[in-house]
Amino acid sequence: MRVKIIRIILFLGLLCVSLDLIYIQGIRGSFYFHQSVNNRIRVIPMEGIRGRILDCNGIVLADNRLSFNVAVIPQDIKENEKVFHYLSQVLNVKKKKLLQQYYQKKLAPFAPVVVAEDVDKRVAMILEENRFRFPGLYVQEHYRRSYNLKEIGAHILGHVGKINRIRMEKLKDYGYTPLSVVGYSGVEEYYDNYLKGQEGGQQIEVNNRGQQVRLLSIREPESGQDVQLTIDARIQQLAQESLTGRNGAIVIMDFDSGAILGMVSSPSYDPNIFVDNRLKKKISWAMTDSSSPLLNRVIQGQYPPGSIFKTIVTITGLAHKKISRHTSFNCPGYYALGRRKFRCAHVHGSQNLIQGIAHSCNVYFFNVGLLVGPDLLHKYARLLGLGQLTNVDLPAEEKGFVPSRRQRKIKNPQGWFKGDTLNYSIGQGEVLVTPLQITRLMTTIGRGGKEVQPFLIKKIGDQDIVQFSTIRIINVDPKIFDTLQEGLKEVVKDPYGTGRLLDMPDFEISGKTGTAQSIPGHEDHGWFAGYNLKGKRRISFCVFLEFGGSSYNAVVIARELLQRLRQENIL
Amino acid sequence: MRRDLGFIILLFTIIIIAIGLVCLYSASYQNVRVSHKVFYDQLVLSIAGVFLLIYLSQLDYRRFYDLAYFFYGGSVLLLILVLIGGRHALGAQRWFTVAGISFQPSELAKLTLILGLGRYFSDRRSALSVRPRDHFGVLWHDLFIPLCLTLVPMVLIFKQPDLGTALLFFGIFIFMLFASGLRYRYVLGFLFLCLSVLPFGWNIIKPYQKDRLLVFLNPNIDPLGAGYTIIQSKIAVGSGRLWGKGWLAGTQNQLNFLPERHTDFIFSVIGEEWGLFGTLILLLCYAVIIHAGLKVAEQVKDRFGMQIAVGIIGIFSLQVLINIGMVLGMCPVVGLTLPLISYGRSSFLVSLIMIGILLNLSKRRTIF
Repeated sequence: MRVKIIRIILFLGLLCVSLDLIYIQGIRGSFYFHQSVNNRIRVIPMEGIRGRILDCNGIVLADNRLSFNVAVIPQDIKENEKVFHYLSQVLNVKKKKLLQQYYQKKLAPFAPVVVAEDVDKRVAMILEENRFRFPGLYVQEHYRRSYNLKEIGAHILGHVGKINRIRMEKLKDYGYTPLSVVGYSGVEEYYDNYLKGQEGGQQIEVNNRGQQVRLLSIREPESGQDVQLTIDARIQQLAQESLTGRNGAIVIMDFDSGAILGMVSSPSYDPNIFVDNRLKKKISWAMTDSSSPLLNRVIQGQYPPGSIFKTIVTITGLAHKKISRHTSFNCPGYYALGRRKFRCAHVHGSQNLIQGIAHSCNVYFFNVGLLVGPDLLHKYARLLGLGQLTNVDLPAEEKGFVPSRRQRKIKNPQGWFKGDTLNYSIGQGEVLVTPLQITRLMTTIGRGGKEVQPFLIKKIGDQDIVQFSTIRIINVDPKIFDTLQEGLKEVVKDPYGTGRLLDMPDFEISGKTGTAQSIPGHEDHGWFAGYNLKGKRRISFCVFLEFGGSSYNAVVIARELLQRLRQENIL
Repeated sequence: MRRDLGFIILLFTIIIIAIGLVCLYSASYQNVRVSHKVFYDQLVLSIAGVFLLIYLSQLDYRRFYDLAYFFYGGSVLLLILVLIGGRHALGAQRWFTVAGISFQPSELAKLTLILGLGRYFSDRRSALSVRPRDHFGVLWHDLFIPLCLTLVPMVLIFKQPDLGTALLFFGIFIFMLFASGLRYRYVLGFLFLCLSVLPFGWNIIKPYQKDRLLVFLNPNIDPLGAGYTIIQSKIAVGSGRLWGKGWLAGTQNQLNFLPERHTDFIFSVIGEEWGLFGTLILLLCYAVIIHAGLKVAEQVKDRFGMQIAVGIIGIFSLQVLINIGMVLGMCPVVGLTLPLISYGRSSFLVSLIMIGILLNLSKRRTIF
């Protein structure tokens, strides 16, 4: 009897165990199976080489340089102390610091820990020679970005760096890992997708101590694609030199296609500071200097256009038949609005439209501006691409700003005054543009209303990039542009034209100067934007000097630059 | 019919030993941590053990009755000696080394306790029927003295320290007490008393034992320390799924994720490599032996034989249940072996001897 009870108890126990086995192995089996797989399989990433960036002639702007890291494999080193003592002697770093770094970075016994990055070639050789003495210690070769031309083209190229958290969250789904290197700013960022190599990896099986047991599979990393730009390194270099010591920007663009040949923002910086450990200290200078070297003034600098805006006023006046090319106004040297006098540079006397443009007569355009009114100015400025992105293939472009009465009403209950219209007509006040927008505006005018889209990309890998839908026809009578072109030509040709310095043989330059008042206490901004139709290729260009005094300085720089380019047989 | 019972026990014992050898081969296959030696050791021991079984089944088991107290006294002496001069290993003092072979007296004590209690209970039988109303006498003679018989080796083993085996002794006592025919009210009353003093037990166990008990309640407290074994063994068993990963192909086992996989945790190797299929078959084998063993206890005609059969089956099944439960995380890790499978000379031999006695009983149940 009692034995029966014992039997029942024991069999109940066995039943419990069986049921638990059925639960663990039968029902939850897959869960535990995955856990056992995770237990034993690890992936060691292998970096893919990043694509290079070339200029239009194949000169390498951003290259990969072989660099040496000192790494140790934790599972292979026998005596920590001895190895790190030796390392500290060779690298000339304190042992404590090395060890601290080592313990911080150590992830798993099989994963190499980099204890010193980008060491000297000489040090690498010494370590490699002594490798047999210290198993587990080795020199890792890998590629680092290097920007061969340093300051030249820094703003176009951007730089690379370890991925940050914001970027990581955005790019998680596109095969980026926390160890990925990504481009920051410039082409490096915009074309990161193509430049970045495909990360490969080794899948290994590990035992309970994380030691590698065998290699399961390997996926070779793939190199990224080379990217070729329309930039010409020589133009870039000459333009950079011509801005030495000044803050400003120069854009040189192909007149027919919109391909950007040169894009300089001054002061520039050496992008190597972001990738080379030895130059790291300069990052803080670049970040904090009051001249903002990291700012790409061509697309991110927003300035009042000054007299260049008169082209817009002209188009507006002609399009709405408020003026014709023969309409004349008298310039007494100022325009009196109530008690206030709006000044002109000189006393120009009677001026027709062409003369007005050539001499950049403010009074003439005050009159035109009042005739058309601010609403139309706003409309035509927008129509010609001001206040809007040019959609050039660079990140973080700025829009600029075109004021309007409606916008003013929202912001400021005082409303719009006639004085505002006067300022508007000469590109002062609230109007803000980027040098690239101005370059495109000049190109559009020169091409009779056919707007191009500026771009930098020429080739990705072996694939030529064809720009589609890059031309937009501005909905304005082409004859108006002919008139305006005539005026712009006179700016250079007229003996009293504001751009007369550019009247050089073998050039056929048209353009417009601009002097824009900047913040109080600073010199004016100087502009010259235009196009040259005679030479190897037709170009449009823009020279902008931040606090550069006047447009005269900009014209001088433009003249020197064009002459240099002609001498170098580029134009 | 009579011979069949013995034959079934012998057959399934050999099957279980074979399963164990197959698993030990796999557990020692990589020769890392667990060396090949373990397998060959067990193989030799198994072959010798089968002969021992057959020899034991031929003996007259009444001799065990005669020598029961002598064995009991001898093993208590050994337990005292091991505390004084035994070998330290794994933080405990459990082993003697005689002529190069180490030996664990606590394993032997399991058997001698069963014999001692068996003799005591069978001797008390007549007294029970004489003065049934003498409560104090019943408690004194039928409960207190056998309890003391149990507590002496139990305390000595607890001192080693070996909580699992010590508690196992208590389990033997309960089973044999129950089988002795003591009235339910006494048995149940005693069990309740034990439960009520259980909380005080917390203060006398060692810190590492406390850790194990806490970790049993929640293994994730310390996944790389005390909880590691439970988590890894559970993963191993579960990852075997229905049909297992195949012999020698269990990753948890072969890649060394399982600690103690040749001794206490060998069941996780079976679970991983043979899946639910393998584990249920093993449980079935154990169930057959337990069933047959209890049948022997029922059919044997003298009290001593019945008592030791119950004791043997009790300890056998308790070890099976606690060991598997421990691997599955159902009970705390207390360090009990899986009988007939785990590697460990003393425990393996003692298990075989116990099965041998069972075989003997199955043959001679009509002797008076």
